[in-house]
Amino acid sequence: MTKIATTLERSDSTSNSLGPVKKPKRVGRWILFAVMMVVAVIMLYPFWVMIVTSLKSEAQFLAGSGFSWLSWSRLTSVIPIGQEVLSSTIVCSASIFVIVLVGLPAGFAFSKLRFRMSTVIFLLIVSAMMVPLQAILMTEFVNITRLHLTGGYLGAILVYASLGTPFSVFLFTTYFRGVPDELVEAGIVDGLGYFGALWRLVVPIAVPAIATVTVLQFIQIWDDLLVGLFFIQNTSQRPITVGLAVLAAGRTTSIPELMAGSIISALPAMVVYLGFQRYLVKGLTMGIDR
Amino acid sequence: MSTIRVPTTSSRWLTLKRRRQIAGVIFALPAIALVVCFIGVPVGQDVYYSFTQWDGQTATWIGLSTWSQAIHNPNLWTALRNNGLLLLSVPFALGLPLCIAVLLHQRVAGWRIFRTIYFLPTAISWVVLGLVAERFFAYQGTLNSIIHALGFSHFSTNMLGYQSEALVALGITFIFTMVGTNTMLFLTGLATLDPTLEEAARIDGAGPWRIFRSITLPHLSRFIQLAFVMTVIALFSALFSLIFVLTGGGPGYATTTVEYLIYETGFNQGDFGTAALYGLILFVITGIVGVVQLRLIGSNE
Repeated sequence: MTKIATTLERSDSTSNSLGPVKKPKRVGRWILFAVMMVVAVIMLYPFWVMIVTSLKSEAQFLAGSGFSWLSWSRLTSVIPIGQEVLSSTIVCSASIFVIVLVGLPAGFAFSKLRFRMSTVIFLLIVSAMMVPLQAILMTEFVNITRLHLTGGYLGAILVYASLGTPFSVFLFTTYFRGVPDELVEAGIVDGLGYFGALWRLVVPIAVPAIATVTVLQFIQIWDDLLVGLFFIQNTSQRPITVGLAVLAAGRTTSIPELMAGSIISALPAMVVYLGFQRYLVKGLTMGIDR
Repeated sequence: MSTIRVPTTSSRWLTLKRRRQIAGVIFALPAIALVVCFIGVPVGQDVYYSFTQWDGQTATWIGLSTWSQAIHNPNLWTALRNNGLLLLSVPFALGLPLCIAVLLHQRVAGWRIFRTIYFLPTAISWVVLGLVAERFFAYQGTLNSIIHALGFSHFSTNMLGYQSEALVALGITFIFTMVGTNTMLFLTGLATLDPTLEEAARIDGAGPWRIFRSITLPHLSRFIQLAFVMTVIALFSALFSLIFVLTGGGPGYATTTVEYLIYETGFNQGDFGTAALYGLILFVITGIVGVVQLRLIGSNE
């Protein structure tokens, strides 16, 4: 009861702070506004470069003036953009599916169905968050190759899934700790059984946590280069970031076309980002702002 | 947890407890298996292979030879030095977002739109940001256009072409890529700050700087710590795509960090054993930073 009271209090003070904090003097506000405009221009610079550059032909780009749709109309013949977006989508959705499928029950177990050593195991899994892929890149690459999984998407999906699982376990465990025990308890006693309780009670409760994991992992995986570069050997199954990076590193593709491809690559992540900003913030500050 | 289950008899309680534990193990098992197989085992293999000569096919045990070779390899020290120099960008990657967050917190007209704009680059891949940064720093890029527009037409830079300047270009790009995330963190921190505190201080006659020093900054300390750890970890383990697109680690080894050296040694030189050893070094570095973060998270619970 006291816990609920303090939570209410806290959310109250948060909503208070959303109101105007103070009203600075007129001139000060204009200076502030000007500074913020300057920062906005800097932050929008990448988008400006992408859009303006993509609207030039190679000759116009080198000359520094003129506009044309040539790069856009030639885009699909230079970069297999449709195939790459499809690959990114497949890898992304399959990986996120595994990450949630594996992380949600584990988070439920570590918070509500504690077993012997569960705390130690939980801490070990969470500490796996700190292992960067580069640190295990060689061994992972050889392992996945030996399993003959670099031909299709499966190797990349497994690597993404295992890299995302520690975070998802951490997030679900923390989330379920905030759910009263009685709620789950009642369902289990009511004869739902553990799987029934998981599916009918826990999953519906966990929707916000699932959303947070999905949004964060989507942006992470969609934007990633390393895994796709090494664990998808088939060039016709490349995700879009890999396609762009390889063409860019080759330094032979015309830059306007690369920029057009970049816009295609950036769009989905930006849409998700703008639509689900609050889940992102929630996930980022997890464990510090509860 | 235990307070709820008082009325049941002890024997029933035991079986319930046992069944609960079994269910817990079953639910946790897939996650444990995934993490052990694809993170735990490779770390262990890293240790083993760091004592071998390994080309990805056959590994020959050569004991500490790999280690002594690696320690005498100037490229490793160059990479470590580059990482060390890049650490100089961390104060900027924290300080600028802190200023931006405080500005946003003043909530001038349209601050929500500004917030969205400031966070927008965070959504895009570092591959794309690297491409854009390449356009910025390139000889015929935006930077030189700005310099010429300012009237210094006889002066041109080619930052990506020179060993001494390429790392600076990488550092600046890194700062840019971290601004969104860190601003978001600080803004979240500022939103949990009780405005009556600031109000009280103002009534007591404290100036804006004094309020910032004595109230805002201490309140944000946890968020600053978290941002610091995330920024340092990103610096050691997330620059790959940026380097791959922007400089390819060059000129020479001027922008090769430890993580890029792993790729370079393993895939370009085929020396998997040494690459595994470098991986272990990276693992230890991020591990130390990670322990700090775990303690930060832990101290909250």
